[in-house]
Amino acid sequence: MTVTDRPPVLSVRGLSVRFLMPGGRRIAAVTDAHFEVAAGECLALIGESGCGKSVLASALLGLLPSNAQSAGQARLGELDLLAADERTLTRTVRGRLIGLIPQSPAAHLTPVRTVRSQLEETVGALTDARGRTAVRSAAESAAERAAFPADHLDRHPHQLSGGLAQRAATALALVGDAPLLLADEPTTGLDRDLVDHTVDELRRHVDDGDRALLMITHDLAAAERIADRVAVMYAGRIVELANTEAFFGTPGPRHPYSRGLLDALPERAFLPIPGMPPELGDLPDGCAFAPRCEQVTDACAALPPTTSHIACHHPHVPEDLRA
Amino acid sequence: MRVSVALVGGIVLAVLLVPPLVQLDQQAVDLGAKLLPPSWSHPFGTDDLGRDLLLRCIYGLRVSLLVGVAAALTATVIGTAVGATAGALGGWVDRGVMRVVDTVASVPHLLLGIFIVAMFRPGLWPVVVSVALTHWLSTARIVRAEVLSLRSHPYIDAAVSGGASRWRVAVRHLLPAVLPQAALAAALMVPHAMWHESALSFLGLGLPTHMASLGNLIQDARGSLLAGQWWPTLFPGLFIIVPTLAIAGLAGAWRERINPRRRSELML
Amino acid sequence: MLELHDITAGYDRKAPVVRNASLTVAPGEAVGLLGPSGCGKSTLARVAALLHRPESGTLLLDGEPVRHWRHRAPRDLRTAIGVVFQQPRLSADPRLRLIDLIAEPLRATGRRDEVPDRITELTPAVGLTPDLLDRRPHEVSDGQLQRACLARALVLRPRWLICDEMTAMLDASTTAALVAAVENYRAATGAGLLAVGHDQTLLRRWCDRLLHWDEVAAAGMGKLPRASGLREPSVVPPAT
Repeated sequence: MTVTDRPPVLSVRGLSVRFLMPGGRRIAAVTDAHFEVAAGECLALIGESGCGKSVLASALLGLLPSNAQSAGQARLGELDLLAADERTLTRTVRGRLIGLIPQSPAAHLTPVRTVRSQLEETVGALTDARGRTAVRSAAESAAERAAFPADHLDRHPHQLSGGLAQRAATALALVGDAPLLLADEPTTGLDRDLVDHTVDELRRHVDDGDRALLMITHDLAAAERIADRVAVMYAGRIVELANTEAFFGTPGPRHPYSRGLLDALPERAFLPIPGMPPELGDLPDGCAFAPRCEQVTDACAALPPTTSHIACHHPHVPEDLRA
Repeated sequence: MRVSVALVGGIVLAVLLVPPLVQLDQQAVDLGAKLLPPSWSHPFGTDDLGRDLLLRCIYGLRVSLLVGVAAALTATVIGTAVGATAGALGGWVDRGVMRVVDTVASVPHLLLGIFIVAMFRPGLWPVVVSVALTHWLSTARIVRAEVLSLRSHPYIDAAVSGGASRWRVAVRHLLPAVLPQAALAAALMVPHAMWHESALSFLGLGLPTHMASLGNLIQDARGSLLAGQWWPTLFPGLFIIVPTLAIAGLAGAWRERINPRRRSELML
Repeated sequence: MLELHDITAGYDRKAPVVRNASLTVAPGEAVGLLGPSGCGKSTLARVAALLHRPESGTLLLDGEPVRHWRHRAPRDLRTAIGVVFQQPRLSADPRLRLIDLIAEPLRATGRRDEVPDRITELTPAVGLTPDLLDRRPHEVSDGQLQRACLARALVLRPRWLICDEMTAMLDASTTAALVAAVENYRAATGAGLLAVGHDQTLLRRWCDRLLHWDEVAAAGMGKLPRASGLREPSVVPPAT
């Protein structure tokens, strides 16, 4: 796979987010995240709910609440997203540099206005198109790119099916021609056919638009279908970063948590990982997965360093290498 | 917000502490000192019977607040009970109750209020009853709408499936959910009820004239205003406007806080 | 037996969401009902759980026809069916601590004295830890809350379980854990299960028998007559 050789669109270095809670409690939502996404590449950030992946997305968009502190770097071109002020984020980042594809498109669209009027407003705000006909045709071409049918443009969001609402939201995200698309759980609550469809369309935007896509999801099948690489997040840390084919196929994932996650799938062993994820406000000193891990040893009392994209003291070794 | 807190705090303190601490008789008539303009000895001046207006205003505010709070609480209890019953039971009960609400609401409420006070001898409680009976309608509507939207919630389904009776669903799940809204409605109603008390008293239908309510003070001052004496009208007027705005401001800030869109600070 | 015959149900008399739906679940059997989102399968699940009165059709519980729904249904009948919904956030009263959430059905049915024993049994059975029991819903994750909702559905020892998209919002490991908890309960009590969902792989793995929505009900907006020959062929081959 050559995509990773291209210069990264987004480069995240040591990103950490802490929430300061009343009573002086600190919640380590994201800790020391490192990853890159290149143009034409899709990285899926997977993990269970509450592992910190949505916080990571909010940090990139500058949408953290006031009680959050972030550290590290997130470079998008020349800009460090974490250091940018609100004005820069509003004027140049959201929509123009990062297109957001939301979790629930129905809630993302304004209920009282037609899809066309929302698209035209976004076109007017984000592009150079001026004048009624220019804005109108730009909006129509944005809809076309997202495969949103032109004869549905004058409908209101509640008149759209789930799939069409998702396309409308995608069309809005594509208007600004942003180099990075960020999709936050875009398939939650959709049925399998619709998931496949949505995911394939997103993939098409990556392939033909030279865009980078960062998709946040807990749906492993969707991640397998769309992503070039997957980053597995556990308790605020990225514990494994791997090529999709190697991760889902052979040799398979190497971190014990990733292995457990795949084994839990109904098409595999359908066995849950014992226990529950730790509280982000009360993480153990060493490896956060150690209490649930079958491979646990004394070494796990120390925090594992990330070597060759795995943060584990004893990652799984594929059979053919053991001999 | 801070201004409102300070003002409401000051008002409550003044109303609670001044009468027992200051051993002055607000009713003390001094015909030799009648209609004096504001001065050091009488900061708000005196009225046409020589009574100190600052003292009269504080006593008046005390009465008006008492009426306002009592009427708002009564109206909220009635409104919540009616709204919750209509919403929880639904069907013909709901239709019947809401028809009554619409009918009462179609009569101008000041008119209805006047009608109700006119049935009693003048006094504090007829005014409270009159204001309460004309102001429970909006609370009933709000609470009913809230209950209706909650009724289709999966957690109510889960309670029904778990064997909960209608009564238990209402008391354990519906009422606690509408209580913040109802309390907010009550807080917002206090200033409104105070204005109504003043209006009724000003019309001569409210509290007995010897009681220093703010409405009575303004009513008494009408004659002096025509003669160019402004203070007996201005100060009681300010005593209505400032506290009611402060209470409304505080209730508004509270509404922002309990806004259901505000979720946990942590977005995990 | 839990038998639904020819059920038509919806929220607007002119446009029922479910038309002429029929299915049966035998005691101890696990039936999966597969259908796309918005097809009406959740409404049918609510009818079966005595939570939504159908416009026509019959529901038989152990041979007895059900005549009333919701509060009008006899309490013994209502509590014979445990229900778990799709969204834990919406199906938990935000003011109740998890322990009260789980114990609520016991208290509502006047079996307060069983609370400590049942809580001690169910907490590990659904994979919760005692320290979580004192928290309110906003202080736990979706997965933890859904575990509590499952415990609430099991607390009265129902003979039937209806799981409506129980795991649609959850990650793979929590899904597997919740399904395992349901199966352990069924193995111990012989309860029947109706699992409604859109994930074919999951339902096939979980259930004894898989039904596609097209096999159960007449097509959505319902111009199709009930003659089976006119139905669209099932997209899903029957489970083996």
